Amino acid sequence: MRTYRTAYPILWRVFDALEAAVAFLWPARFAPALPYLLVLPAVLLTGLLVIGLVEIADTSLRVLDRSTFRLSETWTLENYGKALTQPLFRNISLRSLLGAVIVTAATLILAFPYAYLMVRTSSSALRKLLLIALFLPFFIGQVVRAYGWLIILGNEGLVNQLLGLVGVGPFRLIYNYPAVLFGLVQYMLPFAVLMLAPALTAIPEEVERAAESLGADRLRTLRHVVLPMARPGLIGAGIVVFTLTLTDFAMPAILGGGSNDFIANAIYDQFFRTSDAGLGATLTMLLVVLGSAVVGIIFAAVGTGTLGLTRRTAR
Amino acid sequence: MTARKPWVLWLLVGFSLITLSLPTLVIVGASFTAGKIIAFPPDGLSLKWYAAIAEASDLRAAFLRSLYVATVCTLVAIPLGTLAGVALAKYRLRYEKTIQLYLLLPFTIPLIGSGIGLMLVFGSAGVLGQLWPIGIAVCAINLPFMIWAVTGSVNALDPDLENAAANCGAPPVQTFFAVTLPAVMPGVITGSLLMFILALNEFLVSLLLVDARIMTLPVQIYNSIRSIITPDLAAISVVFVVAAAFAIAALDRLVGLDIFLKSK
Repeated sequence: MRTYRTAYPILWRVFDALEAAVAFLWPARFAPALPYLLVLPAVLLTGLLVIGLVEIADTSLRVLDRSTFRLSETWTLENYGKALTQPLFRNISLRSLLGAVIVTAATLILAFPYAYLMVRTSSSALRKLLLIALFLPFFIGQVVRAYGWLIILGNEGLVNQLLGLVGVGPFRLIYNYPAVLFGLVQYMLPFAVLMLAPALTAIPEEVERAAESLGADRLRTLRHVVLPMARPGLIGAGIVVFTLTLTDFAMPAILGGGSNDFIANAIYDQFFRTSDAGLGATLTMLLVVLGSAVVGIIFAAVGTGTLGLTRRTAR
Repeated sequence: MTARKPWVLWLLVGFSLITLSLPTLVIVGASFTAGKIIAFPPDGLSLKWYAAIAEASDLRAAFLRSLYVATVCTLVAIPLGTLAGVALAKYRLRYEKTIQLYLLLPFTIPLIGSGIGLMLVFGSAGVLGQLWPIGIAVCAINLPFMIWAVTGSVNALDPDLENAAANCGAPPVQTFFAVTLPAVMPGVITGSLLMFILALNEFLVSLLLVDARIMTLPVQIYNSIRSIITPDLAAISVVFVVAAAFAIAALDRLVGLDIFLKSK
């Protein structure tokens, strides 16, 4: 009598066990709930941020007792009064908002031609160069990039040394507002281009050809055809750049030299220098409200644009 | 008039190219200088600053801590982002819009808000001062990148393939591993690379969550450039340049950089 080795690989047994376990833990009648189970871990992790916001809101309602350096037990709106009336915070908010507007405008003006050339060029080498030039700084991080600008623009930096060779300068090129804005534009450019590029890809090249064959020059084609069709991408990129700039910390801290603080820097100072967590939390709440209000208004007006994680509807 | 635009186009793109690349080039150049302070023209070439950072145990430790944080972040992000991405792209959920907007919260809450919030949460949980919570925090703030990458590939997956597998008798788990997962792999790889590299150079949230004992590399660099600028910092910064170059090369080989140009 011969025994035949059963042709049943070990992997099959593993999968059988897995299938049985899954069928036991999540029987078929639960199937409609499966997608909710799948998103649950991500929802819980994101929930950490929500709990954080709740804790910030709670802290913002407690004032610092200067004699004991403890936060009060009872809730009060005192911090909000202080944050909204002190000229220091008003100046910082105005500086951040103005900066966000300027940086958004400048970034979009630079990002649009970059994305357009990247999408439309027939040379794949040029497209690759443009993509690499975009991703390299994006992946290097803000601190290292700001450090690069310090080497270039510092008092003994490359630019001043070059100017020194021809007998001019040195000029103070960093630790001022324009330097912060310049650093921010450079930081935001990859975000903006990466949000614009898919929107431009979606515009068929034939549409531009059609406009040209009907006698429109390139400028009019741009104004009446390309820009209107690229609107969702421009809005998406604009929102991202605006909110990231409004809430940025590193560029004002490194290139601003302490005298060009944005809101995030003021928040950091309240927590880690003045140790007034209550007032710091209040400023954070106001920044969250300001930022969400801007995004919310634009979302409500024009939709999530290219930001959506939506299922593609047209197949 | 017709000729005007290309000229302006090239000028603007050229300006952007220079602005984007100059800091990187200068840092790489400065790291090879032989002089003490950063000078132009350079005082000659040398590798002495690389020798200096090999000696500096604080910089090396900070770099290892950053690697650890990035690894924790990526390991958490892969299952969470893949499952959520598959669920969002494949199934029709009730309250889908709400869930989507909720999962975009990490992008809509200002980074300083997320950072301060997590600092308070981790503070009351008593885990502040450890390294792994920083990995979790960085994962929480960047998770939409992972989900976005995965939904992109699920959208490219033909649902008939899964139906065919089921039709041939494959049970659900086997269908997932044999059909769904390989199909979304490009998205998972793209997402993990993004998560890893963004965690490696994440700065603000780390700054809020670290103390002097567990500084990550970006925080260490930030604290050092506020005092004095020396070329050894340029040498250690080259680590980030090399990591970024590797990530780009990997992305290009595995999925092609052009994937970022496609419209959804």
